[in-house]
Amino acid sequence: MTPRIIAANLGIRLRIFHRERSAMFFTFAFPVILVLVFGTIFTKPEHLNFDLPVQDLSGTALSAQLLEALAADQTFRIAPVPTDVDAVQYAKERKQNLVLVIPRHIDVPPSHRLDPRGDAGAVSLTYVYDPSSTSVTTKIQLLEMMVAAVNQKITGIPAHFKLVPVSILPERYRFIEFFVPGIIAMAIMTSCLSNALNMNAELRQKGILRKLATTPITRADWLVSSILYQLILSAVSTAAILLVSYTVFDVRLHLDAWLPLIVVVEVIAFAGIGMLLTPFAKEAESASAVGNAFLFPMMFLSGTFFPVEMMPTFLQTFAKLLPLYYVNEALRAAMIFADNPATLRSAGVTAAFAAVVFAAGTFKTRWDAET
Amino acid sequence: MPNAEHAIVVDRLCKRYGSLLAVDDISFTVERGEVFAFLGPNGAGKSVTVEVIETIRTPTSGKVTVLELDVGKRKAEIVRRIGVLPQNFSSFDRITVRETLRYYARVFGCKADIDALMDLTNLSDKADAQFNTLSGGLKQRLGIAVALVNDPEVLFLDEPTTGLDPHARRQVWDVIKGLKHRGKTVFLTTHYMEEVEVLADTVAIISRGKIIAIDSPARLTSNHAAQARLTLESMDAAALGLLQKMGFTPARTDDGNICVPVGSADDVRGILEEIQRAGLAVPGLDVRKPNLEEVFLKLTGAPHDDHARGGTG
Repeated sequence: MTPRIIAANLGIRLRIFHRERSAMFFTFAFPVILVLVFGTIFTKPEHLNFDLPVQDLSGTALSAQLLEALAADQTFRIAPVPTDVDAVQYAKERKQNLVLVIPRHIDVPPSHRLDPRGDAGAVSLTYVYDPSSTSVTTKIQLLEMMVAAVNQKITGIPAHFKLVPVSILPERYRFIEFFVPGIIAMAIMTSCLSNALNMNAELRQKGILRKLATTPITRADWLVSSILYQLILSAVSTAAILLVSYTVFDVRLHLDAWLPLIVVVEVIAFAGIGMLLTPFAKEAESASAVGNAFLFPMMFLSGTFFPVEMMPTFLQTFAKLLPLYYVNEALRAAMIFADNPATLRSAGVTAAFAAVVFAAGTFKTRWDAET
Repeated sequence: MPNAEHAIVVDRLCKRYGSLLAVDDISFTVERGEVFAFLGPNGAGKSVTVEVIETIRTPTSGKVTVLELDVGKRKAEIVRRIGVLPQNFSSFDRITVRETLRYYARVFGCKADIDALMDLTNLSDKADAQFNTLSGGLKQRLGIAVALVNDPEVLFLDEPTTGLDPHARRQVWDVIKGLKHRGKTVFLTTHYMEEVEVLADTVAIISRGKIIAIDSPARLTSNHAAQARLTLESMDAAALGLLQKMGFTPARTDDGNICVPVGSADDVRGILEEIQRAGLAVPGLDVRKPNLEEVFLKLTGAPHDDHARGGTG
């Protein structure tokens, strides 16, 4: 291994990268954009607010009290619906997924309300809803909670139970804190795999390798410079993701020695996979196809965008066979939970995997004209 | 045994791919300072042989030495002293001519005079052009410049002018002639017989994995080619009879000319004098020397199929 040669290779690859706009975009800008988009969509569930059209057919002081209570914590923006329209028709025409209807007679005598037969004497508030809408379930749940609170207030009976939250996390934990480690891992995986595949396709398809193999560059020189190149890109992309996450979303993450360590292990793991996939990607076109066939399932099943626990059990089992799962687990254990034993476990699995695939990849990679 | 006069010694080289014997027990030597042309139809084992000598393929059996160093054991030393222009030379797309040369110079750890190399290969005004913007001829010339970066003792040029226009081809020939004058050994693989006739001191022909001829281009031609041919244009039947009477074996060609094999310049003079004496007019004539192309086609037989292994022509 010759440092001079490694430096020359590193220089040329960074120069190519710098001049390749699309590579620049996918390595740096793309993950940052994902953080911005997903962070903006999901970050602040405490400030959820929804439109709620209400058709108040009664127009009494009680209905006004009810509406005031519903609007109080700003979860719902109440919009009045004219009393002379059909609520179902209104919901359809205005594309509203939830419309509340307060009936004409809501002032029921207290004696009726205390009917021992449960809620048989209760006043029915009808909600018209669109079951095909994804957000409507959340809205209905919120509405039910608020109606229950209003009920309790009207009846005047103090609550017997109340819920007190205790977080297992030292800090507040939002979606963005979950998301950032996942994006860091995904960005590194994508850049390692696609760079390894594209560069190898270029070397073999265009025949550059036939030239390089007749120079003093050895296979070890080439592999070491590739790893260093990937580490530099990974460091820059991780820094870019963290910078945006901290400045835009004010994330709270633990940044310690685990992060660079996990990054190094991940780079080696995916560089190894890249080498093993090379025989299936001899041309630039098939390289990106092979890369994507591998990247997408990995991305969606390894808990990059949502927790693995949300998936059915058999998919969870499958996820545990994917290397990216362990990278995600390790990064989250380190950056969110500051849980050293858990980090060590997942990082250890990743490292063992990296050692195996890198050794196999090195063994399979030929540095000559034999195919 | 290799000695200091030999740049390359190939001794009983075999290279097998499964059931295909791509190179079948070949031996030859290349002297220092000569231009050695290596010819063969596609799939004859040409590229495989070259790549074994260049240290990038492993021989199945046999011994190959370059500059008295065994290709199997001394690769690291050999590659520093040879320069290789692979077939269809290619380099990194986004990297300029100057950067490419600088990169290879760094890889070899040598202080190459980049400007002089660009001058030699007529690339100076393209110094800052990226590789993917270069024409085929410019890419080949960059390939040659790259092959010279480490001031090699032996230069391998694998089809250096394939795909070039006649003008660009002659520029490459001039570069190769210049290298020969500087005492470099050049191992040239080509499909162009004219290139061999212009440049080569020795020519070896490989066919179906075996060397079938090796000699100077002139001797190969005189030993293997048919006689020179005199073509007389638009002659009538009288001339045909006259030539037969003189003891030649003339033949009518499809386009109505008379073609007659001749042994020497005296034969040609004799024929022309007899025709003049008979009062026949000669509207046009053409004397064609036997050439290497005929020798090549004769020795390698009908153009045979490419073997299954692509790119091993």
